[in-house]
Amino acid sequence: MIFVLEDTINGILMGSIYGLTALGLTIIFGVLKVINFAHGSMLMVGMYVAYWAVALTGLHPYMALFVVVPVMFFFGYYVQDLIIKPIFKAEKEVREPITVIIVTTGIWYILDNLTLLLFGPDYRILQDNPLRGKMLEAGQMLISVPKLWGFCAAVVTAASVYVFFQKTRMGRAIRATSLDREAASLMGINQYKVYNIAFGIGTASAGIAAITLVPFFNVYPTVGVLFDIKGFIIVVLGGLGSIWGAIVGGIIIGLIESVAPQFMTATWTEAIVYGLFLLVLFVKPSGLFGVKYDW
Amino acid sequence: MTPKKINNCALVLIVLIAFGVPLVVRSATYLHILILLYMYAYLTTSWNLVGGFAGVLPLGHAAFVGIGAYTSTILSLQYGVSPWLGMIIGGLLAAIVGVIIGKPTFKMRGAYFALATIAFGEGIRVLIENIDYLGPLNFNGPRGLQIPPLDTGLSRFMFEAKEPYYYIILVMLVAVLALTYFISRSKLGFYLNAGGEEPEAAMALGVNVARAKLIAMAMSCFLTALAGTFWAQLTLYIHPKSIISLDLSFEIAFIALIGGRGSIAGPVLGALLLRPVSDFSRIYFGDTVPGLHLIIFGVVLIVVMIYQPRGLQEPLTRAYNRLIHRFFGPQGSGRAA
Amino acid sequence: MNMLEVKQLTKDFGGLRAIDSLDLTIGKQEILGLIGPNGAGKSTAFNCIAGVYAPTMGDVYFEGSRINGQKPWVLCKKGIARTFQIVKPFATKTVLYNVMVGSFANTNKRSEAKEKAMQILEFLQFADKKDIRAGNLTIGDRKRLEIARALATEPKLLLLDEVMAGLRPSEVDELVDMVRRLRQSGITIFVIEHIMRAIMALSDRIVVIHFGRKIAEGSPEKVASDENVIKAYLGGEYVVS
Ligand SMILES: Nc1ncnc2c1ncn2[C@@H]1O[C@H](COP(=O)(O)OP(=O)(O)O)[C@@H](O)[C@H]1O
Ligand SMILES: [Mg+2]
Repeated sequence: MIFVLEDTINGILMGSIYGLTALGLTIIFGVLKVINFAHGSMLMVGMYVAYWAVALTGLHPYMALFVVVPVMFFFGYYVQDLIIKPIFKAEKEVREPITVIIVTTGIWYILDNLTLLLFGPDYRILQDNPLRGKMLEAGQMLISVPKLWGFCAAVVTAASVYVFFQKTRMGRAIRATSLDREAASLMGINQYKVYNIAFGIGTASAGIAAITLVPFFNVYPTVGVLFDIKGFIIVVLGGLGSIWGAIVGGIIIGLIESVAPQFMTATWTEAIVYGLFLLVLFVKPSGLFGVKYDW
Repeated sequence: MTPKKINNCALVLIVLIAFGVPLVVRSATYLHILILLYMYAYLTTSWNLVGGFAGVLPLGHAAFVGIGAYTSTILSLQYGVSPWLGMIIGGLLAAIVGVIIGKPTFKMRGAYFALATIAFGEGIRVLIENIDYLGPLNFNGPRGLQIPPLDTGLSRFMFEAKEPYYYIILVMLVAVLALTYFISRSKLGFYLNAGGEEPEAAMALGVNVARAKLIAMAMSCFLTALAGTFWAQLTLYIHPKSIISLDLSFEIAFIALIGGRGSIAGPVLGALLLRPVSDFSRIYFGDTVPGLHLIIFGVVLIVVMIYQPRGLQEPLTRAYNRLIHRFFGPQGSGRAA
Repeated sequence: MNMLEVKQLTKDFGGLRAIDSLDLTIGKQEILGLIGPNGAGKSTAFNCIAGVYAPTMGDVYFEGSRINGQKPWVLCKKGIARTFQIVKPFATKTVLYNVMVGSFANTNKRSEAKEKAMQILEFLQFADKKDIRAGNLTIGDRKRLEIARALATEPKLLLLDEVMAGLRPSEVDELVDMVRRLRQSGITIFVIEHIMRAIMALSDRIVVIHFGRKIAEGSPEKVASDENVIKAYLGGEYVVS
């Protein structure tokens, strides 16, 4: 019984980190109405930046925050500004920016393989960081400390993003653009600037996720793919564009992954996740928290 | 000569040359590269029915390749069914599955369809990796299925030489191109294009957009699955990680976009351009820079999408017309086929 | 039998009542005008008739049979065609292609669809632009394309939503003339228009709505002198040109 509880808690913790990795996906979709398929690769870039920042300086892993978040913000900002924006403009006659979606997969392929070229296929882990393998004993249960911090980071990040979009001027401008591009531009809001910023924020949130992962997770060139596909499932589960939906969706996936193996071979849990995803798409495509009609 | 005649002559000439290639190219390696090139052109042309004409973005077409490959292979290994028949059965199965995926998602914003197809593709792969036996059917899990090269011949869809494979895939490619040509000029083609571009306007003009997309999806999945059987018979070994891979699904989409989504020549041009990049970078840089061709694909994709959002077929068609104009005078210039 | 009958039509968007218990009828070959300030619910009324929205309450009858909640493409085949206030051309396709999409409503043959489309284009004096990409047209021509596509479906009832807005006066006169010829050819016309001069000249009768409710109905002269109507327009939103 105690093991089920332990698995449940660890599942919730890991799940909230999944949610954090998917947060940027939902932010970017909410504003640009584009799925950023390169999001997992951007997370991977964030993990490498965090890894090297810590490995080279020997600082506490969480101190990498001060490097990773700004680096990732501008990385996202300029990827949107230099690569995605021109394609948006070239395709503005068309209602659904399909080309933009596929170009983000191009970015994914470039980032993953460039990283492979630069750093090789090796799995890297921060060898002697203070958080590695650290456990909290609660009664008979063992709770992973870095995952607990990950949970906190997920909640704080989601709450900050939420407050930013609801309460600040800039946040409101971004939301106005997401609701109605033309009206927003009439109000003097520069649509593409808003897209840049939204992309920057989404990518920076992937940077925060990267920092929470680095103390206990291997870093390798295709690590993003793992989180990419999971991220797609999470955001649809939670409702595309919904911030809290991403966290809740992540926790659901985390729970399935940690609890289901009690009852079946572990490889089947992945199949269950895909099954659940398709079920949600068919039954309630707007997800748990999504807007009902999205046209 | 009228422009139409010139185009038809050029077309016939190209097809004749393609059929004559094995008389000149004797190397099995080069023939194999050409076979794969045609197969990708075929796959992309099939994809184009939905991804190009219907204006949605399927990103899990590898799953239908897998459905075709596994259906015909299991039927032939365990029940002695001819792969040709298995090919048709696999195609029908894929069409049904495609409709099941499309029906709920075509109503949604395009992103949902893209995500649903990705998840479906990955889901099928994971499922097959987890299944050794499904009832009496042996999938053999992650190890895949081997087709023992016992009896060769046309009726068994198995040959010692490369030439028969070359001709089969060439005929398949020409057929699917002809089909695409007729669809693009038919009511269905008009309805797909209209529904893909402005669904509300199309509906007001009498177009049942979702139905048109479903028809296209069914055809596309059917055709894609046929290539799965071809692939299985060509390599005599299928394995979930290679045949139902995300990379394959994406490569098809890349070829289509770079060549020109929604045009007839686009997928062929895209394959002509990208397949050699893929093959040669794997041959020459496979050990040193394993992902080189993917980096090149990505860069080419981005550059082409920024400067030629409708793909390379557009400037190439223009160049072709100018050429015709130069050689045959003003009456010769017209639209390329 | 009336061509169209709308009875107690009501349409809510969340808490907003865009149309409130609207009644109206259009006889065969009549031209009915619908006017009202911006946001009065005119386009929403069209959308309810053409099947884009199902009415919250009330009924719509077309040629005597109830059509509530039927899909736009079904209604199109029955003979209701419409234009969009915000034009929606198939921008990457040619004018001819755009119109052929409409003419395929009554045929499966490409050659017939093309012939029909060419007839329409000639009728609208638009044939010289048939090979231009719709995305490259001027706003006036885009509006004309909206009408051409709708006509290509061979409608009995044509709904025109502000097709004259943004046009030059000479273009407006041409369109007024064209709509009259359409009526002569047997088509019933329901028209929303902001340009007073045009709608007054064109309509047999006019219905005025404000906040989703009908506030006046009658001949153009009667409506123009109606006190309620004048009050509703005191904001000066109308272009009197
Ligand atoms: N799809 C919709 N969702 C929510 N509100 C809508 C929608 N369409 C129209 N409205 C609202 O209904 C009212 C009537 O709009 P509309 O019919 O477009 O007015 P008109 O055409 O007379 O200018 C407006 O307040 C508008 O904001
Ligand atoms: Mg209106």
